[in-house]
Amino acid sequence: MTGETLLETRGLRVHFPVRSSGVVRRTVGRVKAVDGVDLQVRRGETLGLVGESGCGKSTLGSALLRLVTPTGGQVVFDGNNVTTLRRSELRALRRRMAMVFQDPYASLNPRRSVGESIAEPLEIHRLHTGSQRRRARVGELMEMVGLDPDHRDRHPHEFSGGQRQRVGVARALAGEPDFIVCDEPIASLDVSIQAQVLNLLKRLQRELGLTYLFIAHDLSAVQHISNRIAVMYLGRIVETGDRTTVVEQPKHPYTKALLSAVPLPDPAAERRRERIILTGDVPDPISPPPGCAFWPRCPYRHDERCATEPPPLREVGPGHHVATFYDPDRPA
Amino acid sequence: MSVDRENTEPGTTGDARRSDDAGGPSAPAEPRWRETLGILLGNKLAVFSLLMLALLVVAALFGSLLAPYGPNEVAVENRLQGPSGAYWLGTDELGRDVLSRVVLGASVSLQVGFVAVGIALFAGVPLGLVAGYYGHLVDDAVMRSMDVLFAFPAILMAIAVLAILGPGTTNAMIAVGIVYTPIFARITRASVLTVREEVYVRAARASGASDLRILRLHVLPNVAAPIIVQTSVSLAFAILSEAALSFIGLGAQPPRPSWGRMLADGRGFIEQAWWIGFFPGLAIFLTVLSFNLLGDALRDALDPRQRSAIQSMGVTA
Amino acid sequence: MTVEATGAGQPAGPGAQEALLSVRDLRVRIAGKQGVAEVVNGLSYDVRAGETLAIVGESGSGKSISVLALLGLVPQPPARVSGEVHFGGQDLLTLDADRLRRVRGNDIAMVFQDPMTSLNPVLTIGRQLAEGMQAHLGLSEKDARARGVELLDLVGIPSARQRLDDYPHQFSGGMRQRVMIAIALACDPQVLIADEATTALDVTIQAQITELVAGLQRDLGMGVIWISHDLGVVAGIADRVLVMYAGRAVEEAVVDDLYVNPQHPYTRGLLGSIPVLGRPDDDLMSIPGRPPDPFHLPPGCAFWPRCAFRYDERCATESPPLRDIGAGHRVATFYDPDRPT
Repeated sequence: MTGETLLETRGLRVHFPVRSSGVVRRTVGRVKAVDGVDLQVRRGETLGLVGESGCGKSTLGSALLRLVTPTGGQVVFDGNNVTTLRRSELRALRRRMAMVFQDPYASLNPRRSVGESIAEPLEIHRLHTGSQRRRARVGELMEMVGLDPDHRDRHPHEFSGGQRQRVGVARALAGEPDFIVCDEPIASLDVSIQAQVLNLLKRLQRELGLTYLFIAHDLSAVQHISNRIAVMYLGRIVETGDRTTVVEQPKHPYTKALLSAVPLPDPAAERRRERIILTGDVPDPISPPPGCAFWPRCPYRHDERCATEPPPLREVGPGHHVATFYDPDRPA
Repeated sequence: MSVDRENTEPGTTGDARRSDDAGGPSAPAEPRWRETLGILLGNKLAVFSLLMLALLVVAALFGSLLAPYGPNEVAVENRLQGPSGAYWLGTDELGRDVLSRVVLGASVSLQVGFVAVGIALFAGVPLGLVAGYYGHLVDDAVMRSMDVLFAFPAILMAIAVLAILGPGTTNAMIAVGIVYTPIFARITRASVLTVREEVYVRAARASGASDLRILRLHVLPNVAAPIIVQTSVSLAFAILSEAALSFIGLGAQPPRPSWGRMLADGRGFIEQAWWIGFFPGLAIFLTVLSFNLLGDALRDALDPRQRSAIQSMGVTA
Repeated sequence: MTVEATGAGQPAGPGAQEALLSVRDLRVRIAGKQGVAEVVNGLSYDVRAGETLAIVGESGSGKSISVLALLGLVPQPPARVSGEVHFGGQDLLTLDADRLRRVRGNDIAMVFQDPMTSLNPVLTIGRQLAEGMQAHLGLSEKDARARGVELLDLVGIPSARQRLDDYPHQFSGGMRQRVMIAIALACDPQVLIADEATTALDVTIQAQITELVAGLQRDLGMGVIWISHDLGVVAGIADRVLVMYAGRAVEEAVVDDLYVNPQHPYTRGLLGSIPVLGRPDDDLMSIPGRPPDPFHLPPGCAFWPRCAFRYDERCATESPPLRDIGAGHRVATFYDPDRPT
């Protein structure tokens, strides 16, 4: 999928200060949720961002829309530096970049009808003015996501999880965005509904020429919907590449472990597979280790640099980048 | 939810435009406010309160038409008479009809109560919204000021204000309004702290909504419930405060009848003519009780406890 | 393999072994404002020692309530539980509260989904571990502590002796789930029930926990009931699988059989709707509609409104019985892939 770069981040950092309690609040530490991320998303493609809890993927998604303020680095969207925009320009940008949230129960205001929630971007950006035209547009959007426009005046609690998620998608589409960040859009849904929403997102991308950043922890779903995949660990990108390469020829030890842990709906394959079981827990971003973030759990660790130097992201194949010192060809 | 009309076609692979999961709500659920009203009316104490308050409002609005005598109709020859056919609640030391004075005193109490709470609402809620939403310095500045006001016992505070402004009904309204502002600010702020973290607020921001829009359309409607409850409770206390101020002579000035004043006057006649102080006191008691009960009932009715039998078992099966 | 013409009663199967736990025609009805909901509608299965039975279903299938009903953890009223649950020569559903309490945590133990809320935040792990042992086995505090250390070791918690006096918030999610498992194992149960035990965990931690349970089962010979909605996890840990829909068992088979040869349209739809790693270009089947409201179940087959096949007139009016199709494979459907439309 080629196209020019629509969105790019350079050295993006999002650090949250941890303050002590009390009248005088001192900063006692920093949570390095996103710690130096370089990412490119091309127009028309879906970049899948995958990682476990605490890796910072959701924070990254929010930072792209400046819902959290980046502490360092840049986000460049279609040539505009998002990080330095003024309030008014940011509002205009929020029309072109939209977001679909994880929790279908929490992402809709319970006091407003679904029609009103979907129409919100239209009101904010003054699109399709006039109550007739607005109603028509809301109806159109609802049809696009597979909902009945006659239900526009009903409230969220009257709909199921899958339907509410569709409302969220309709709302994201209202401003005719170029780019949508999907933050774990299917994680809270039943299995049979997940497929519906995935199929919906794919169809919309085809029909409307959308670009997605698809954030999820489910590697199978990510591979299914993405063109390229980026793997995140403790605030850093450890591997990127097209979806086949990352899944079939992973180079980073964490990617390998992650892939081996993904359950497969095939009992025979499950029995055959050799699992790389990691020791220890998913780490806490408040005190990342110096050097390679994955080093404490790495089953290989055969380079002295691992403990002291953070490995840079380097190209190991066409479009395939990895941040590791691990080299399977070199003896331990 | 029986067979959905749209699903009568054979199922599809891939996603169909309309038939998957798209049936929508099977039947329109009851609008929220009607459901709340239903719960409220089911509560016997709430119904009692509402009736009492309705009575009060009628007395306040149509008192002059309903009262058998004027509030200041002096008839010295009939002074200190007990309840009788002519004077249902007796007469006071000047021969005035106690019933008429109680009925007309309702208007003062309610007026002061509603206006004072109105002032507290219009001052306190925006302060709480701003403090809770923006946090940090704004929060500190606003809430510490509220704390200062809170630190004073309500009555002393009111007296202090009236000492500056001078006694009278209008000034009493202002004084009580100031006294009750902090509680509304606090309650609003507490709710705002929760609501501002909600995902739908983030979603609104992601759509480009301004802070004002978010506060108006997303935050305020979702913090309304505790404010409504507090309004009812504060009305009770405001009326009580007015009575207290009138008791010590700072509230409504004679010749305007006010329950507190009547209580004060009745003090001297407890032995001979207990009815002079008793009935105004009873009126205060019933009014305050009703507002409190209403507040409790509202708290229960507005509680998001609309769970089905299955959900209340804590399992989603 | 003889094909028995079975009704809802007997699970046929290659069971040479005695069943540890036998559930027969379990029903849970809940009375609510809207009427009566049949949340569990005639469930029957066996669990044998050393075997893992996975119960698969989505929300509303009744899978969680069915195991709570087993252990008498469903308040009656508003629910009514009927049927038989044979364990250790007794029918659990007929036991009084006291006797049932002696079974719970002792012979049959349960691990829940959310380790954050299943542990008491104000008690140390040691206390929570010891609780069951002191109540059921009558161990002294000292002995219970010693066994507590053994158990924490068993589930792979490093520095077990020191961690015994830590509080739940000092453990990570994965560690807390290990502690839950340790608590469940404290009294050497014969049956372990894991209700979505790994759903809330990260994938790499999930792999650790499923390996742990599999290993413990091998070593201790327990029967395990594993409840999940995740067909991937189930493929890796189950010996047999039972698929539930709208309170009923719609299919039951040996694990390989279920995945290779699913018979029920719902099972097929479910399997077809999950993305498979390594096959990204496969189209995802999506099952239209959504699970029925248990208060308003359709007459006939509960899955009929969403079924892609539906060619038998009986589907709309009759509820298909669970029938045996050989090799321990049972299915409740009128659909026959071999019979043309």
